[in-house]
Amino acid sequence: MKAYRLVLQASAWAAALLLGAIALLVTLDVVVRNLGLGTLAWVLEVSEYSLPVATLLVAPWLMHRNQHVRLDALLTSLPRGAARTLERCADVLGLAICAVFVVYGSRLVLDSARLGSMVVKTLAIPEWWQYALVPVCFSLLAIEFLRRLLARDEPARRAAGA
Amino acid sequence: MSWWLAASVLFGALGMLFALGLPAAFAFFGINIVGAWFYLGEEAGLVQLIRNGIVSITSFALTPIPFFILMGEVLFHTGVAMKAIDAIDRMIWKVPGRLSVVAVVAGTVFSAISGSTIATTALLGSLLLPQMLARGYHPSMAMGPIMAIGGVDMLIPPSALTVLLGSLAGISISQLLIAGIVPGVLLSAAFVAYIVLRTSLDPASITILDDVSQTIKSSPPGSVIVMFRVSSKSWATSASQNSRVFC
Repeated sequence: MKAYRLVLQASAWAAALLLGAIALLVTLDVVVRNLGLGTLAWVLEVSEYSLPVATLLVAPWLMHRNQHVRLDALLTSLPRGAARTLERCADVLGLAICAVFVVYGSRLVLDSARLGSMVVKTLAIPEWWQYALVPVCFSLLAIEFLRRLLARDEPARRAAGA
Repeated sequence: MSWWLAASVLFGALGMLFALGLPAAFAFFGINIVGAWFYLGEEAGLVQLIRNGIVSITSFALTPIPFFILMGEVLFHTGVAMKAIDAIDRMIWKVPGRLSVVAVVAGTVFSAISGSTIATTALLGSLLLPQMLARGYHPSMAMGPIMAIGGVDMLIPPSALTVLLGSLAGISISQLLIAGIVPGVLLSAAFVAYIVLRTSLDPASITILDDVSQTIKSSPPGSVIVMFRVSSKSWATSASQNSRVFC
């Protein structure tokens, strides 16, 4: 359990460091360009690729802390029991959605790797690298939905996000 | 399937998923899966959904979104934001509905600092709302300005939503951001005018003696707590905005 939390935290840190690094690199690119020293074309491309990577890395950690934006207007106005049933339905649906992304994401990664497709812009990278995190992160998200589904008491479910 | 039927089914399903309390990003994923299954060709459609999702956010035009939020965070954590509220609070006096006006003006200034609408609303809400309620402001006069300022924040740059709109619609993002300034300022001027007019005509809507001399007390520990709360909220916002882009 501790190791699992560590994985979530490490991925969130990785996302934060990535975004921090991109902020510095883009600033550097702007300075270099304005000094007339040419342009760092790879910076733009790396920052493009890092957007989905950071999003995927941070999503399971946010789910663990119950900090994804959601509407609770109906849930808070319903009696406790009914709200809990609705939340369980939401957790089952969330789990199913994650399962779809894990299954078809893996299929996409495997197909792309088998065909050896490449993305060629300034940098040339294998296409499957772009999608590799989809099955991994959605598996972690699926574990989180499962954890919420199996949690017995409210406080555990509402953890740090309240 | 006719377009109106598809639209009503998809938006109906989205509304239902929201009502269940499913995180917004997953509610969008859910209807995207249904849409991809029917319109993009079943299993191949689902693979295409993931491919399109990743490719659509692999876009340099979207990088300002995390940067705007980072910028807001830096200003909140350094305490500049709190000092700004304090300054505005001291600047405005002898105005009917003073704290409501302070909320609108401070919110407008924050719009120019933070790219996250929710962070601004959360900061003003946690700082000003308790004081307004404690001084006997009617809840609608206390909450209204704070929520309305979210609309101004969306218009005045930096604004994550404007970047998203520009990128989806293929409109120049820089022009769109610049174009938001005047409407944003007009909107907040209209809010101030409404608050002043309403409280002058109907003082009962604010049931207090607005103490002019009393300014907002923001002791250091309190402000630290407020900042931490805002930072955790805006983190959540940033990620879910990103996840929403994914759809």
